[in-house]
Amino acid sequence: MREIDLLTEFSQKAGTEIDPKNIKIDDTTLRDGEQTAGVVFANDEKIHIAKMLDKVGVHQIEAGIPTMGGNEKEAIKKIASLGLSCSVMGWNRAVKSDIDASVECGVDAVAVSISSSDIHIEHKLRKSREWVLESVKTSVDYAKGFNLYVSVNAEDASRSDMEFLLSFARTARDAGADRLRYCDTLGILDPFETFMRVKNIIDIIGIDIEMHTHNDFGMAIANAIAGIKAGATYVNTTINGLGERAGNAAFEELVMALKYIEGVDMGFNTTLFRALSEYVAGASNRILPTWKPIVGGNLFVYESESKASGVLTNPETYELFKEKDVGLERKVILGKYSGVNTIIYKLGTLGFKISRKEAEELVEIIRNKTVSLKRALFDSEIIDTYKSYKGRSDKSKSDKKGGK
Amino acid sequence: MAVAKSKRYVNIIDTTLRNGEQTAGVVFSKHEKIRITKMLDEIGIPEIEVGTPSLGIFEREIIKEITEDKFNCRIFVYCEAEPENIKYAARCGAKNVIINISTSDIHLKEKYKKNRTWVINKLRETIRTAKQNDLNFIISAEDATRTDLEFLLKLISIAKKKGAYRFRICDTVSKFDPFQTFLYINTISSAIDFPLEVYNHNDFGMATANGMAAIRGGASSLVVSVGGLGEGTGNAAMEEIVMALRYLENIELGIETSKFREIAEYVARSSSRAIPIWKAIVGTNVFAHESGIHADGVIKNPKNYEVFNPSEVGLTRQLVIGKHSGSHIILHKFKEFDIELTDKQANEILALARALSEDLKRSLFDKELMYIYNEYTKKKESKREEQNPEDKA
Repeated sequence: MREIDLLTEFSQKAGTEIDPKNIKIDDTTLRDGEQTAGVVFANDEKIHIAKMLDKVGVHQIEAGIPTMGGNEKEAIKKIASLGLSCSVMGWNRAVKSDIDASVECGVDAVAVSISSSDIHIEHKLRKSREWVLESVKTSVDYAKGFNLYVSVNAEDASRSDMEFLLSFARTARDAGADRLRYCDTLGILDPFETFMRVKNIIDIIGIDIEMHTHNDFGMAIANAIAGIKAGATYVNTTINGLGERAGNAAFEELVMALKYIEGVDMGFNTTLFRALSEYVAGASNRILPTWKPIVGGNLFVYESESKASGVLTNPETYELFKEKDVGLERKVILGKYSGVNTIIYKLGTLGFKISRKEAEELVEIIRNKTVSLKRALFDSEIIDTYKSYKGRSDKSKSDKKGGK
Repeated sequence: MAVAKSKRYVNIIDTTLRNGEQTAGVVFSKHEKIRITKMLDEIGIPEIEVGTPSLGIFEREIIKEITEDKFNCRIFVYCEAEPENIKYAARCGAKNVIINISTSDIHLKEKYKKNRTWVINKLRETIRTAKQNDLNFIISAEDATRTDLEFLLKLISIAKKKGAYRFRICDTVSKFDPFQTFLYINTISSAIDFPLEVYNHNDFGMATANGMAAIRGGASSLVVSVGGLGEGTGNAAMEEIVMALRYLENIELGIETSKFREIAEYVARSSSRAIPIWKAIVGTNVFAHESGIHADGVIKNPKNYEVFNPSEVGLTRQLVIGKHSGSHIILHKFKEFDIELTDKQANEILALARALSEDLKRSLFDKELMYIYNEYTKKKESKREEQNPEDKA
């Protein structure tokens, strides 16, 4: 399977064009995101996040787990009644009572989840493959009886026997399921493996596929994209990649990667991304790392001479999209790696027009200062540094004059 | 040629101390740079980029101290292509240099305001100085993925002819996905027989995946940094690449991974950055399980939800009680406290724990769980007393 010629062939096939209209995002920040150890959203937050997701343009929201009851059920009920443009989905085990709870919430779609790997079937469910197939059939039948859109989730699909997974998909399809969620529950696939497996299911069974990927080895986005290239039409994302362990495919990263690397522009309102990420970070009580792809606060902050001098001339030297596209701001700071161009520009923004010669002399002063402070300089420190340098050089000039 | 699952060797070169430090706002002290070099060397990282000699005296002093020390790893310094920079490198005792130059037309036009001939001449000139100083050198093509392929191949053949150690291809703007990376590297490595190294950025969250794809495409080396520390979104994280090679490609680098958490913490503190608790491989939440389904699965058999044992990267497993917990985890957790609960008790305590967790908007500490238990048992006792007052007597 992994001969290089075959890989090349696959990779070339993976380059074919994708129609943006065919790709849909099913965001699970409110379900898998909240399921993360330590994360609890208040109901108000859940509702606010649902509204923001709808505004930004996601196609479907996985709003929670109705069978948990209590506040969870109330929140889902409320979200389903907001009259959002997107579809609202409830998450269920492949159990009738779970689906009943979803129906009571008034959602229009359900995810019906059950493990398809032998290790889960044997060690977690302690059942048989036949039992799994029967549960898929019964629960899809049941949900379809309520006229719901049904996604059958093959949990741990990536560790499942391929033949069995095909039977699983066939059972789901024949029972009338609308799509199959391919869960790389442990995040163990790489993009090539993902592509081959997903393509197999689509070619043989012909059912809509949704990608649910995890970031345990840093491949969540790449695997989601691999799935799309293989023909998957849905991706299960979360804001900031919030999710169990290392998290899921981050919504903002996926959307921008599709737009700028694959040329698939789904028309999302990306300028809201930073605000959405900040809100979810706050509600989940997590930091938003300054280096977070797409929305990190430092992404358009430049210090090094090499990058700054390129970007200041033409941002395209180092950027594929603009800071405004994602609701961020551009800034230059001075630190150990700053040089002449950075210093001239930075002091210019602070209201001091300096010569190249002055900048050359300031480089060493600024680098020494930043090394001794072990950080970049604050604007006030830059101004102080410049003023004391200027004072010294003016003084030495007038001393010289006086000497004449 | 079979790529994966073979016993091929892959090199990694860690740039935490160079491109990592180049991150806006990050400065390592001399002590920290030396400590990080030691840590990386001790766990078996084969090559390390330690700094940029042209920056100034402070940097050259650090580099000198590192090059004078005895390390098993190969120590590299970084130079923009300029003979003067090479002289700085030689003066601080460097034996190996990376010579970097932008090669894409957009960089040539906008950043250097020069043409391709200038690039070739500048490289030749710099290489000459490197050879005069007896330095081993890697040629690094910045923005290689936006460079005209013919021109890039020409530069690689110059590097080869001049006796370079390797050629580095930088995906400076994260232009590629793994399939594109694979095809690109595959095309180059089929056209010219020379060791290739790939440098990725994480702008779209694909640095690690692209690094792995480059290996499949025929690259022999990857540029990595601890925690992915680097300019902008950062680089391919060292710990992710090492573990992905081990578990997804069956390529073993022989690195002592149990120190990963410790090193990640040290670098995080030195760079004044937190390690996100969800950071792949080394985040503390990677082995924390709360939800009923996951925790129950892990209790029954860790393999249900874990690919490797937490101790392999210096972490520990945690079972967290919160909104999504199930009664099994309650039973298990109390067993850890030497308390045997009945199923009924577990369910009742679970309801109380869930309610408190929703109220507090977070998971519960072990102590809080014990408070719940104590109050629960007290209430039960007083209820029993009310019902059977004669028990008191």
